[in-house]
Amino acid sequence: MHAQNPLVSPVSGVSTDAGQRFIQQAPESVHAGFPSPAQGYYNGPVDLNRHLIRDPTSTFIVRVSGDSMTGAGIFDGDEVIVDRSLEARDGSVVIAVVDNELTIKRLRLGDGTVRLVPENPAYPDIVLHEMTELSVWGVVTRCLHRV
Amino acid sequence: MSNQPSIALVDANNFYVSCERIFDPRLEGKPVVVLSNNDGCVIARSQEAKVLGVNMAASWGSIAAEAAAKGVIARSSNYELYGDISARCVELLGRFTSSQEVYSIDESFIRLTGTVEQVSAIAREIRLATKKLIGLPVSIGIAPSKTLAKLANRGSKSSRALQGVCNLGAYSPEQLTAILGSVEVGEVWGIGSRTAQKLVGMGIHTAADLRDTDAVQLRRRFGVTQERVVQELRGIDCLPLEEMRADREQIQFSRSFAVPISTVAELEEVLSVYTQRAAARLREQGSLARMMSCTASTSPFRDNHVSHAVSLAFPSPTDDPVEMYRAAITALGPQLQGNQQYVRVGVSLYEFSPRESHAALDIFGTDPTPFAAGAVLDSIAAKYGQENLGLGRAGLKTNRAWTMRREMVSPRATTHWDELITVAAK
Repeated sequence: MHAQNPLVSPVSGVSTDAGQRFIQQAPESVHAGFPSPAQGYYNGPVDLNRHLIRDPTSTFIVRVSGDSMTGAGIFDGDEVIVDRSLEARDGSVVIAVVDNELTIKRLRLGDGTVRLVPENPAYPDIVLHEMTELSVWGVVTRCLHRV
Repeated sequence: MSNQPSIALVDANNFYVSCERIFDPRLEGKPVVVLSNNDGCVIARSQEAKVLGVNMAASWGSIAAEAAAKGVIARSSNYELYGDISARCVELLGRFTSSQEVYSIDESFIRLTGTVEQVSAIAREIRLATKKLIGLPVSIGIAPSKTLAKLANRGSKSSRALQGVCNLGAYSPEQLTAILGSVEVGEVWGIGSRTAQKLVGMGIHTAADLRDTDAVQLRRRFGVTQERVVQELRGIDCLPLEEMRADREQIQFSRSFAVPISTVAELEEVLSVYTQRAAARLREQGSLARMMSCTASTSPFRDNHVSHAVSLAFPSPTDDPVEMYRAAITALGPQLQGNQQYVRVGVSLYEFSPRESHAALDIFGTDPTPFAAGAVLDSIAAKYGQENLGLGRAGLKTNRAWTMRREMVSPRATTHWDELITVAAK
């Protein structure tokens, strides 16, 4: 039978296959006829997708290659969560299109300039002359870093 | 003209190419084509590729060298990516309407209510939203009927001045007649090529001519379907939106193919995949199904339209893909005609019951499953990938035409953890 005690079922990481969501098993389906007294208080295991992803439709996960953002805690090989529905502001970490390539930088607006700034002194800023030159692919909301 | 319900057809521009461009900015502004399964022929073209004269359905083998010399970039089809982007788009469109028909992977009809100006404003908002949130450019045609919305959608793509939104409600009756007069009758949605020939023989050359034809006379000669087209062209909404069943009373796995399939073996393979997917969804929600229906149809807009549908009841409620596949082949197989060009196949499961409620009755089942094949398939698919195990024909991995040659395939960036796209930190 497929009966499973959800309290001891393994909790995997963020499930990216199958529509990026956990398949939750309701405790009701476990024991027909003998509902647990705790049932009304149980809402399933902590769902990382629910807490880390505000809008699944506009959210994408991408992998970072390179060390220009280490100052922001984003390292080579980390995955970052990108929400395209957010507006990029001064200080946002963004995925921007630079020279036809997707690149991760911190956006700095002010003094009439638009700058895409790395968080590593070894790399130069990219200065754009006009706002129209800026092409933001999405705004980074989280970094998934293996410790 | 206030607060008339309108039907909007939202159609993604060069959908497959646009999906590829979301994750690869290098393709922006370049001539790009997407190839069919097996890299056989061109099934999608960017505007730039169209301008270069690359033909739809052209055999890639015979034009590859010439196309490459012109700078055309080819991609193998990445249906998993396109399917995910399509699902995101469907969800996003649902935020703007209470009534939606997903017509194909890249087209949805949605109902919008308001004045002409309000509806046009919503359409412009939708265009901005799909572009910003998903990265997908769409065009929108708006009219009182689906047939006119389809026509308006074509208009939205033909004139740059419209900026992707064509609302027929904004035109005077005279202008509307002029627009319909510029559309050949064979290009009207729902008019097949042979019917179009007959209509031309009767002096009906354009959509405007067809609109002004006596509907009753037309029904006598061509039947009620063609009569409806006439009513639709007059702005009378005769084709209701076929809304998706959002409840959990039915699981449907149904797709239109960009390139028709014609052999029974291919159809069996598709059925095998669809029954497995449907069974997997059924298990996700912890249900068993008592009934299944399977459909296969050729294009309704071609003459000699063929459509098969069978419904069957399982001996006892099941979530077993093996049983479903066997039943589908047994019931539908004999009806399939090998020489037909099938463009749509579907598998539906319904009459659900919770899986656990049958646990005590298992001993009375007619076919006690020797092992839980479904659960095993699921766990192996989760571990080793969807394509490494399958039932029936879909299990013969190396024989699968659709997955055999995809040499220029992009990453499945939204559905596979090991294929996420890379962004540069340099």
